[in-house]
Amino acid sequence: MNAAIIFGLLVVLMLTGMPVSIALGLTVLTFLFTMTQVPIESVALKLFTGIEKFEIMAIPFFILAGNFLTHGGVARRMIAFASSMVGHWYGGLGLAAVVACALFAAVSGSSPATVVAIGSILLPAMVKQGFPVRFGTGVVASAGGLGILIPPSIVMVMYAVSTNSSVGALFIAGIIPGIVLGTMLGITTWWRARRGNYPRLPKASWAKRIKAFRESMWGLFLILIVMGGIYTGIFTPTEAAAMSAVYAFVVSIFVYRDMPLSQVPRVLLDSANMSAMLLYIITNAVLFSFLLTHENIPQALAEWLVETGLGPIGFLAVVNILLLLAGNIMEPSSIILITAPILFPVATRLGIDPIHFGVMITVNMEIGMITPPVGLNLYVASGISRMGMSETTVACFPWLITMLVFLMVLTYWPALSLWLPRTLGMM
Amino acid sequence: MLKVLDHLEEWLIAFLIGAATLLIFVAVVHRYSLDMSADWGLDGLYDWLFAFDLSWAQELCIYMFVWMAKFGAAYGVRTGIHVGVDVLLNNLREGIRSKVVLFGLLAGAFFTGVVGTFGVNFVWHIAHTDTISPDLEVPVWIVYLAIPLGSYLMCFRFLQVTWSFWKTGELPQHEHAHVEGLDEEIEEAMETGEPEDVLTGETVELAEEREHLHGGLSEKEWKERHPPAGRDKGGRK
Repeated sequence: MNAAIIFGLLVVLMLTGMPVSIALGLTVLTFLFTMTQVPIESVALKLFTGIEKFEIMAIPFFILAGNFLTHGGVARRMIAFASSMVGHWYGGLGLAAVVACALFAAVSGSSPATVVAIGSILLPAMVKQGFPVRFGTGVVASAGGLGILIPPSIVMVMYAVSTNSSVGALFIAGIIPGIVLGTMLGITTWWRARRGNYPRLPKASWAKRIKAFRESMWGLFLILIVMGGIYTGIFTPTEAAAMSAVYAFVVSIFVYRDMPLSQVPRVLLDSANMSAMLLYIITNAVLFSFLLTHENIPQALAEWLVETGLGPIGFLAVVNILLLLAGNIMEPSSIILITAPILFPVATRLGIDPIHFGVMITVNMEIGMITPPVGLNLYVASGISRMGMSETTVACFPWLITMLVFLMVLTYWPALSLWLPRTLGMM
Repeated sequence: MLKVLDHLEEWLIAFLIGAATLLIFVAVVHRYSLDMSADWGLDGLYDWLFAFDLSWAQELCIYMFVWMAKFGAAYGVRTGIHVGVDVLLNNLREGIRSKVVLFGLLAGAFFTGVVGTFGVNFVWHIAHTDTISPDLEVPVWIVYLAIPLGSYLMCFRFLQVTWSFWKTGELPQHEHAHVEGLDEEIEEAMETGEPEDVLTGETVELAEEREHLHGGLSEKEWKERHPPAGRDKGGRK
């Protein structure tokens, strides 16, 4: 009953279009005030302690690093490297876009940022070369989704924070699925391009490839810093994020010199704005999950689900459908922060591995980013290509199907995500 | 006067994120140079480094980010970065739509106002105790001051946005100047083939602007469904 009131209130408030964070907070406030004896002043304390965790601070650092990388010419050099390697195959620049997105995803934690970094450079170039705008937009918007699957990933940090899982293990678990999905998207691109007979680039000589690699090396080195640092235990994930922000700053300003020093305050402000928004959602989501736990809702739900006899297979199917639907109307951070505390206890009851569950949710979020009406990647891509929303959605269709197939494989084959962290002894 | 507040807010959050990054960087470098100098037997360097105690860095970083989050959230109201679910909203009739938007904004102001007041209460009580933070050993009421200050500022920003929405019928997301500037950049890139970098936040903002503005419809579709005549002043007479 209480659960129905809480969720009913939340849904009604959210539908008015007020920020998700405010809707969460107001729900908690209203419920605590009218239905319980919880001293309401404790809410103020929760609002502070909610984000008093060092792990959460990885989010602003990764955002800052991502912003420096986007402006600092790292993306451009990665694209040059990717096109020199795969540009002569069917798909040409399209295939290069997939590879470049995967490379950039390995240094940046957000998927709209990946779309911007790769898309704003490659899309105009693709159109100039004679690719249909549709094809280019579809490739970039979908492959940009790799940004949150291939570590580092802000969405994974959010999941780890709200379920107390290990950020490091999640990151490592995302590597193989990321590579597999990247390959699958590449194959789709190759196949579509072959059918449409789209332009290819002349085959680059090895000298050119090595030159392109050496130029992009500064950016690629960041992959080593972050993943190597976390894996060997030199840094905590948050420290790795801070190191990568400083590294990205140095590379952009002093090594590549693509960004003037005068632009730094702007980038800082931009990153702070984005981070504060996410942190504000987190604070209120912590408040919300405090209310859920106080009312014993996740436990009750777990009981009920176990009683209905819905096994792990059925549960995972239901979760996938639920998250895909939610992905249509909400953005990833809010979805994870609201649903993870509820679904997580059920998953553990059913014996589903928390890390596997986290990777699965991340892929769901990725798909949510290219499904309308609220797919951030779609908007960013349509912002660059200036196509209408419905057209951009249709453009993404072949890759969307690929992703759905991948999601099914990943959901029912836990080894895909769990093999690497297990082998490395991280879990 | 308001301009001063705006700039102060911007400078504060930009400074906090930059300084926190540097702080953690220095703390990590410090930790490893300490280890290395011990390993290599550089006693002089070790002693010198050892004199600096950076164990408080993590705590300070957290506090800086909490302050950044609270004031940044207020700044975010001004830039319209806080996302909501507006699928239903954008399919409502113009007259009802603006009423619902006003309700949402006022609810935001109400929530932040209430939280700010709780914060004042909370800080007031804690200021009468001797509680200090574990590493930095500063009185915690100073640290917690972020809640009332940030929330009240956010409340003020919500009221500001409500007022301008009432006056002009526009939300901060709807800044067209921003969008046009970006379009020009892309046009230029398409013509010259020389790509221009776009600020990430800017594009996300732009994306959200379109999203909020058109409820997922293309410019053309939106115009078809919402003839220009129905859009002015939104039936608030």
